[in-house]
Amino acid sequence: MSQLATFIQQQRHTKSILLMTHVIYGYPDIASSLQMMGTILQKGVAILEVQFPFSDPVADGPTITDACHQALQNQPKLGQCITDISQLAAQFPSSRVLLMSYLNPLLQYGFDALATDMAAHISGVIIPDLPIDQHTMLAPLVAANVDPIWLMIPDMQQSRIDFVAAKARGMLYCVSRKGVTGQGAGSQRAKQQLHDYLDAIKASTQVPLALGFGISTAEQVSELIGVVDIAVVGSALLRAFQAQGLAGFSAKIDELMSVS
Amino acid sequence: MNDTGYFGQYGGSFIPEILYSSQQQLLKHYRQAMADPDFIAQVKREMQQYSGRPTPLTHCANLSAQIGGAQIYLKREDLNHSGAHKMNNVIGQGLLAKRMGKKRVIAETGAGQHGVATALISARLGFECTIYMGAHDIARQYPNVFWMKQLGATVVPVTSGSQTLKDALDEALRDWTASYEDTHYLIGTSCGCEPFPEMVAGFQSVIGEEVKEQAMAQIGAMPDKIYACVGGGSNACGIFLPFVGTDTELVGIEAGGRGDGVGEHAKRFHTDQAKFGISQGFASMFIQDDQGQLAPTHSISAGLDYVGVSPILADLSDRGLVRMTSAGDSEVLAAFKTLMKAEGIIAALESSHAIAGGLREAAELDSSQNIVINVSGRGDKDIFTIAKALEDQPFNDFLRSYLEEGQ
Ligand SMILES: Cc1ncc(COP(=O)(O)O)c(C=O)c1O
Repeated sequence: MSQLATFIQQQRHTKSILLMTHVIYGYPDIASSLQMMGTILQKGVAILEVQFPFSDPVADGPTITDACHQALQNQPKLGQCITDISQLAAQFPSSRVLLMSYLNPLLQYGFDALATDMAAHISGVIIPDLPIDQHTMLAPLVAANVDPIWLMIPDMQQSRIDFVAAKARGMLYCVSRKGVTGQGAGSQRAKQQLHDYLDAIKASTQVPLALGFGISTAEQVSELIGVVDIAVVGSALLRAFQAQGLAGFSAKIDELMSVS
Repeated sequence: MNDTGYFGQYGGSFIPEILYSSQQQLLKHYRQAMADPDFIAQVKREMQQYSGRPTPLTHCANLSAQIGGAQIYLKREDLNHSGAHKMNNVIGQGLLAKRMGKKRVIAETGAGQHGVATALISARLGFECTIYMGAHDIARQYPNVFWMKQLGATVVPVTSGSQTLKDALDEALRDWTASYEDTHYLIGTSCGCEPFPEMVAGFQSVIGEEVKEQAMAQIGAMPDKIYACVGGGSNACGIFLPFVGTDTELVGIEAGGRGDGVGEHAKRFHTDQAKFGISQGFASMFIQDDQGQLAPTHSISAGLDYVGVSPILADLSDRGLVRMTSAGDSEVLAAFKTLMKAEGIIAALESSHAIAGGLREAAELDSSQNIVINVSGRGDKDIFTIAKALEDQPFNDFLRSYLEEGQ
């Protein structure tokens, strides 16, 4: 079994839900972004998701898109990003670090080189514009035990769920609704639909499930206890940082961590 | 093309999972429609009765004599309704969207030509219409924005990134991920995920099909060479595809801009600033930096100012079936003037790239040879850019007094 999946299952023995929080490498500058990541890991968040910025992030909403464009002003390099976050991962062995980016920056680096450079410390990779149909591109990562983390969405046909489930490793990242990152959650009816959607996935796979898109409060995280293994918080942390700097960011993590 | 939308190593589908089912639905309906003679007849009828097809093939006796080489013919896509070849594509996709029962269409636009064409067809076919346009392009091309709004479209300024065509495309994709149930994404060029490159090139191929018939009737032979400007690649695919594998040489002209530095041009071929990449739904040649970030572009014509290129053209170029070259801003402006004065035809600045490429090579050909240049659009829309480039002072005076009168 995948090391990431084992880690998640072990953590879940003592915690009712795990947190996965997101930071953009290079936003607002490289040093500050590393400081934010350090804060997250110090506070014991189970999984840190680091987004290497791309010029054309089609699956992200305005908050993350604008931050990525600002991060690019600092000319981040993927090689350095992997070195920096590997160091953090080594420093905080009781958490796991994932790399998220779009396909083109990873493609230019090369999947063989990525596998070599990520194998020691980075547990997985999330690529929102790489559909499951192209999974063979990631074979070098799989061979190096860096798990490709596939996205699941509402209204997937059973045959498609089965196709992804057969390739799933580490965890599956379930998107809570259609659209891009950074928008709010919905009504009671939407919640029922969410449960039906997750039940269909659970029936097809044992791999741990993370749920993301639109989770911004501790209350929302606690509502997911017993529903998924991991709650993913992205834009909300970024907005907390933008509103109140590192202190606001840190307070938001404390709030989210109060649930578990 | 193979059955997963590849053209050699280019093309394919690289879209977020959320778009998978709408893409599958589009693929299915597109294949069904193309196999339905009634649909094909409907598209043809609309092209004739709404857009004025067939567009003429115009022999340019004065220009040919002036250049002193090959006989020069122009394929007059500028005479389409809306003033550009963009109409061919929106008719095809508009009718397909109607057939699919969609209520709304969205589109990206650079120069605004595709935005206007989409707004026109939306008015005619009864779609709600939203156009994404880079804020930078809105500032350059306000008259087109004005018409889109008058036609009832919502024009959304895109303020992220470079605020040009690629960012508008990103934003249209984001809209589609939330709206696919009732919305068709009416992409404006031969790019994007399967089946868009094939579909747009297919609807545009009416251009080349007509040239074949017209060349036989007017010249009595197939043209020796065909020239087309290459932005995303739709007008070039349209005129080239029916000639691929024949003796006619196919030449694409990219925007050489104002120089070879990063951000000074929009060349995807013959430059080490562009390489194989995957973005915006497809694999192709993209202008990018060493980190795989898509790079800024420039052209005097907003419509050629795109970082990627049709996977169909990238493949044809690799296979030596299309030759790619480029023309810079000043050569383009000179060609624009030469054609205008010799023949009384005001070509779009995009199309003037094809004219520059054609005139450059026509001089070296024999008078028994014939070339066809695709005039993808008319130049009226470029009046502001051209007046500025030609430093026409009275135009500025006119604008000033226009503003004063309004107060
Ligand atoms: C008149 C005209 N020609 C050419 C183009 C370039 O597009 P394509 O390369 O898809 O033909 C445009 C795009 O806006 C245009 O308006």
